[in-house]
Amino acid sequence: MPLVSTRALVLQTFPYSETSKILRLFTWEHGLRSVIAKGALRPRSRFGGVLEPFTEGTAQIYLKEGRELQTLSGFDLLRSRQALGRSLAAFAGASLMAEVAIRTGTEDPQPALYAELAAGWDSIAAAADEAAAEAAVLGGAWRIVSLVGFEPQTDACVVCGRDAAPDKPVRFDAEAGGVACTSCRPVGRLIDPQSRAELRRMIRGLPLNAPLGRPGLHRALLRTFLEMQLAHGKPFRSLELFMTGMEEA
Amino acid sequence: MSVIDELTGELARLPGIGRKTALRLTFHLLKAPAEEAQRLSRAITAVRERVRACERCGNLTEQSPCAICTNTRREHGLVCVVEEASDIMAIERTGEYRGMYHVLGGRLSPLDGIGPAELNVRPLLERLKEGEVREVVLATNPSVEGEATALYLHKLIAPAGVRVTRIARGLPVGGDLEYADGVTIAEALNGRREL
Repeated sequence: MPLVSTRALVLQTFPYSETSKILRLFTWEHGLRSVIAKGALRPRSRFGGVLEPFTEGTAQIYLKEGRELQTLSGFDLLRSRQALGRSLAAFAGASLMAEVAIRTGTEDPQPALYAELAAGWDSIAAAADEAAAEAAVLGGAWRIVSLVGFEPQTDACVVCGRDAAPDKPVRFDAEAGGVACTSCRPVGRLIDPQSRAELRRMIRGLPLNAPLGRPGLHRALLRTFLEMQLAHGKPFRSLELFMTGMEEA
Repeated sequence: MSVIDELTGELARLPGIGRKTALRLTFHLLKAPAEEAQRLSRAITAVRERVRACERCGNLTEQSPCAICTNTRREHGLVCVVEEASDIMAIERTGEYRGMYHVLGGRLSPLDGIGPAELNVRPLLERLKEGEVREVVLATNPSVEGEATALYLHKLIAPAGVRVTRIARGLPVGGDLEYADGVTIAEALNGRREL
C-alpha cells in the first residue's frame, strides 16, 4: 500500500470508536477522500489538535485505490483557520462551502476547486465584519458551484437566449439555470441591475467594489439555486444555519 | 443463534469493545458466580430505568432536579455550559468549580445536521430570566464547532445582561512545548495573559 503525501483541506471530521476520527479530506492530488486518523482523540495523539474542520496541511495517507476509507499516517499543519469559528456567519458559510465540495467532489484531482476552497475560507476568515464575511461566503459558494459545472447563466436569457440589458431587471430561473427576461418569465424572483452585476462579479471571482446592496436577495438566490440544481432532494444542512445566522445578524 | 452469540453480539455493540473482547467478557460472566452476573444485569436495568436528564440543567440524574441543582452550598449565580453530561463529571473531578451547570446536548455542527434547534438552549435562557444568574461560563470543547457554539450562545445570552466568559485554551499542564501541535501553540500565544 503506497504512502502518498499531498496537500489537503479538512472538510469534515467526526469521532469513530473511542479514540479515532474519520475525516473528509479534499486533497490536491487525489481529490475527495475519507481517511481514518487512528488514535486522534487520545490526549497525547501525534495528530494533536490539528485535525479540525477548515485546517490545511500536508497529509500522509496510506492510499489503496478502490477502498472507501484510507488511513491517515500524519498531518503537518500549514494553516489552521481557527478564526472561522469566531463568527457564526463565517463558520456556517465555511461549512456550506465544505458541504458543496463534499457533495460534488470526486476522487480525481481538482486543483482549481482546491484553490478556490482554500482562498474562499481565507477571505471569510479575513473579513472585517459579518457583512464582509457574508459577501465572501456568497462569492466563494458561487465560485465553487461554477467550478463544479453549474455556473448560472447571467448574461443572456435562459429561455430566449437574447442578451439581458444591463440596465433592466431580470428574473431568476433556478431550474433553467440562470436569468430570464421578464417577458419570458413573467413570475419569479426579480433581480435588479445592481444585484445582477454583483452576482456576475461573484461568479467570476472578481472583488466587489462596495458592500452587497441586497444581501438577503443574494442569499435567497444561492439557496434557490443550490436546492434546485445540487440538492437532489437532500437539503444542504449547513445552508439553514447560514441563512438563519445571517437573518438574525 | 445461541445465547452466547447473542450476549457477545450485544457486548460488541458497546463503544470500545470489539468482538474478541466481547467474547472474553461473555466467558468471564459464564465462569463467574451467578450472583455477579445478576448484579451486572440489575445494575444495567436500574441505570436505564432510573437515570434521566435533570429538568433544570440536563445533567444525568436519578432525581430531578439533580443533586447539583438542589445543593444550597453551591454558587447558584454561576452557570457553566457544557456540551455533554459527561463533561460535568470531568469538571467536577477538578474540585475547583462550585457553580451550577447546563448541558447543551451537543454543539453546532452544520454538516452533521446539528443546528440551534437541536441544542438544549431554551431552558438556559429561561433560567437567565429568573434573574439569579450573574455569570455564564461557556465550556464547550476547544474545537472550531465548540467556538462557534460558544459564540452563538454569547449572542443569545448577552442581551440578558449577565457576564459571559469562555474557558481558556492552550497548552496542557505538564506538557512539552516542543511536542505541542501548531494550532495549540498558536492558541496559547493568542490567549497569553499578563503576569
